[in-house]
Amino acid sequence: MCGIAGCTDDPNGSAVRVMSATQRHRGPDDEGLHTDSRSGVSIGVRRLAILDLPGGHQPLSNEDGTIWVAFNGEIYNYPQLRKQLLARGHRFATNCDTEVLVHLYEEFGDAMVHALEGMFAFALWDERRQRLLLARDRFGEKPLFLHESGGELLFASELTALLEVKPALRELDPAAVDAFFVLGYVPGPGTIVPGVRQLPPGCLLIWEQERRHCEQRSWWAPPREPSGHLHEPFPALVAEAERLFTESVRTRMIADVPVGVFLSGGIDSTLVTSAATQASSQQVKTFTIGYDVGSFDETSQARRVAQGLDTEHHEVVLTEAEVGARAPALLASLDQPLADQALVSLHALSEFARPLVTVALGGEGADELFGGYPRYRWIERAGRLESAAPLAARSLGGLVRHSGRWGSAQRLLERAAPAPLLERHLDWVTSGRRHRRDSLYGPRLAAVGTEHILAGLGERAGPADGPSPGRRLMRLDQVDYLPDDVLVKTDRASMLASLEIRTVYLHRGLAEFAASTDSSLHLGGRGKTLLHAMLPPGMDTPRRLNRFRKAAFRAPTAEWLRGPLGPVLRDQVQNGAIFEQGWFERIPAERLLREHAAAKQDHSDVLWPLLALGLWGDRMLGRNAA
Amino acid sequence: MPPRPRLLIITPDFPPARGGIQVLSHRLAVGMKGFHTRVITSDASGAAEFDASGDLAVRRVRTDPRLGKGRNIALNAAAFAAALRFRPQLTLSVHIVASPAAALVNRVTGAPTVQYFHAKEIGAKPRLAAFAAQRAQATIAVSSYTSRLIAATGGARGATSLIPPGVDLPAEAEPLPEPRPTLLTIARLEDRYKGHDVLVRALPLIRAAVPDVQWVVIGDGPLRSGLERLSAAHGMEDAVRFLGAADDEERNSWLRRAHALAMPSRLPDGDFAGEGFGIVYLEAGAYGKPVLAGNVAGPLDAVADGESGLLVDPADHLAVAEGATKLLRDRELAQRLGAAGKARAQDFAWPRIGERVEALLLAQLAGSA
Repeated sequence: MCGIAGCTDDPNGSAVRVMSATQRHRGPDDEGLHTDSRSGVSIGVRRLAILDLPGGHQPLSNEDGTIWVAFNGEIYNYPQLRKQLLARGHRFATNCDTEVLVHLYEEFGDAMVHALEGMFAFALWDERRQRLLLARDRFGEKPLFLHESGGELLFASELTALLEVKPALRELDPAAVDAFFVLGYVPGPGTIVPGVRQLPPGCLLIWEQERRHCEQRSWWAPPREPSGHLHEPFPALVAEAERLFTESVRTRMIADVPVGVFLSGGIDSTLVTSAATQASSQQVKTFTIGYDVGSFDETSQARRVAQGLDTEHHEVVLTEAEVGARAPALLASLDQPLADQALVSLHALSEFARPLVTVALGGEGADELFGGYPRYRWIERAGRLESAAPLAARSLGGLVRHSGRWGSAQRLLERAAPAPLLERHLDWVTSGRRHRRDSLYGPRLAAVGTEHILAGLGERAGPADGPSPGRRLMRLDQVDYLPDDVLVKTDRASMLASLEIRTVYLHRGLAEFAASTDSSLHLGGRGKTLLHAMLPPGMDTPRRLNRFRKAAFRAPTAEWLRGPLGPVLRDQVQNGAIFEQGWFERIPAERLLREHAAAKQDHSDVLWPLLALGLWGDRMLGRNAA
Repeated sequence: MPPRPRLLIITPDFPPARGGIQVLSHRLAVGMKGFHTRVITSDASGAAEFDASGDLAVRRVRTDPRLGKGRNIALNAAAFAAALRFRPQLTLSVHIVASPAAALVNRVTGAPTVQYFHAKEIGAKPRLAAFAAQRAQATIAVSSYTSRLIAATGGARGATSLIPPGVDLPAEAEPLPEPRPTLLTIARLEDRYKGHDVLVRALPLIRAAVPDVQWVVIGDGPLRSGLERLSAAHGMEDAVRFLGAADDEERNSWLRRAHALAMPSRLPDGDFAGEGFGIVYLEAGAYGKPVLAGNVAGPLDAVADGESGLLVDPADHLAVAEGATKLLRDRELAQRLGAAGKARAQDFAWPRIGERVEALLLAQLAGSA
């Protein structure tokens, strides 16, 4: 777990040193740099030591020092890879997982990534071929930002690091700001800054000194759903899912430091905890978070699970006072703005757990892979209804869509009303925020077209060549919402606390298996049919929890915005850079804030993104700058 | 010359339907020269023409495919009714779904039952498998893996003989030219344990060493679409060819063109059974092709590791990639394994296997007399 950085025109390593310093929080334990004197290529690492604590200094090379690697992440199958590489005659100097990379590259070249099971972003410098290989894991768990200009390539784990050495890049892309407001995250592969992009999940980038040119290739993507129906024996499928899941948990528990589990009490983390207790000879430590306001309370369910599985359970209550003290700094410190409401909770939980464990297992990805979000099922059912009674459905949809009013009942109808699939999906996940642009956008956002977000979603969703709209959305979430929101939140919230979260469901075999099974297993009943069948007896969650649940570690943001964050947002609207510099209009935002504060309406869906962007924008743009 | 003893063969699977048990049933029916044989089996499209083309006495039971399990009940009822007329002296039940009729025939006429066991059906229908093993006077297991599965049901009442399925030796086995290094897999695409998914994962690693490799997949079934999409997810579309259910001519042609056969069957999860034997490994051997198989279940009998093929951990895509790469790159090794596979196929050829089954049936008859 680390932060990596590199530059192809950095013969004395100074740029990489600056970037590494910016990423110090990602790796407080160690710093390293390798510079190739012939080409001027430098790669560097800030390291958080998880495996082979003393021996894992990076960048690390092969036997003769011709291949160097800077690595961020974990290779879960490294013991097996190491054994196989030793059998093929490779010699290892450390016990660190990073070292398998250089030997795998010697063995398989760029195809080495196919041998890896894990979360990673790495840069590998091949001195003989004067060639740089960058790679990112299948699901986008570890970040990698790129800036290319005139044959020069810079990369870093965090966007801010690139901006430190290229301050001229420090400007906002209006289309990305618009996308952030609508989606709550900045969709990849672009970033909020026009000159910087991300290496997409499952992609390679090759830079060659001779050509001074980058070539990008996809090496893995979530498989599309199979066409037709598959009638396979259910017990056999459950058994296969169980084997893959158990393997995932077992391999993710290998560490030279203590490992715990983040337990929300929902089905995903309950399964993880259950498998972890079976895989561990010691009592497993579990962690959950509660609040002193609002109606969300997952602690009692988590406690019940912890008791049932006999874990060493730890609960933290995130009070309003703490939220007031920590949330503004956290939202401002991110390298890109993120409006995921669970960020604050996950960060607090990571900080709370850090003195007891260095690694925590998390349930991220289960909803996207196994059909956890209720919208998949509702949209699938609505689609079926429309094909059964198209005219009635269309008339109802037309009425709702053009009524222009926004009651909560209206919003619910809007979500299920007939509209092109991606529009319906977008309005569902964002509570229709795109329809509020006109009133809130300032002159800087006036020229942004309205269709680019849907076009981008359409591009990432790919062709609608399957029979099931629900499955198409599941896959869209796997390539869009998961890497750009969920995993950004997971990576940043944990790294800012110097803790590593390992996602159990984002296991290649499990993901490919889930993608290959019949849609009824994901979209039938209450969803996640396979996961429910894997739960130990008596451990299933109550139905009412499952029906409305959207994500683990939800937070009472509406209450926070009326409480400790109200003044922060008010100050934002009055003095914040995004309002001062014409990105957003002050008066309508103030009106929303007043209505929300008076508890007339819940505007947290709009106010939270404005708060997240505003705090981040102050750091990025500087307050009161013109 | 004394009249030949009457043998009733009951099987749900028989040509022209395709598959290993279908071929086995047919070769047995044709091969039992010392018996007066009658076959009771399910109807299939093209069955009338097929039956008319041979001189076997085949009785077809017309069943509606929508019946599901009811089809087996119909087969058993028809088999029992036919047995009352035919009065067999011995019943050969080629699949456990025919075991109730065989047991009833034994009870009513006293004709002993010899019961075949393959593998998959034991995991899928454990109670019926236990019934079949307990009622039959003798059992045939197609591999040592299958005998272990029988033992796990509670054991057989009579002796269990290990007789592998036979292979048809090709009339023409000379290799055909194929410019691309070619791996071939032949199997219906309905069981995950056949290991197509692991081969997809191995393919990019194989391609790192053998850049123009192609993988030819013969067979069709419900898993095909998922496998096609898995190949695309790995960026391997141009290295994989899904040919569907090829006819004999195309199949044989690929067995002559391919450089190796790869089918890394693994043990399925839970209590389900995997590859009973894997006759396709012997078929590839008969064409002089080296094979790559999993080091579990039936292939342990079908493939001699290091002699006719390589057995690797079938769940490990790196091991599969390494094995396949060896077979494609090391010509000397491939030829040696292929030649040994060809010699080995002779021992498993149908006339010989048929003789072993017939000897067992005659011994059973003599024992019961």
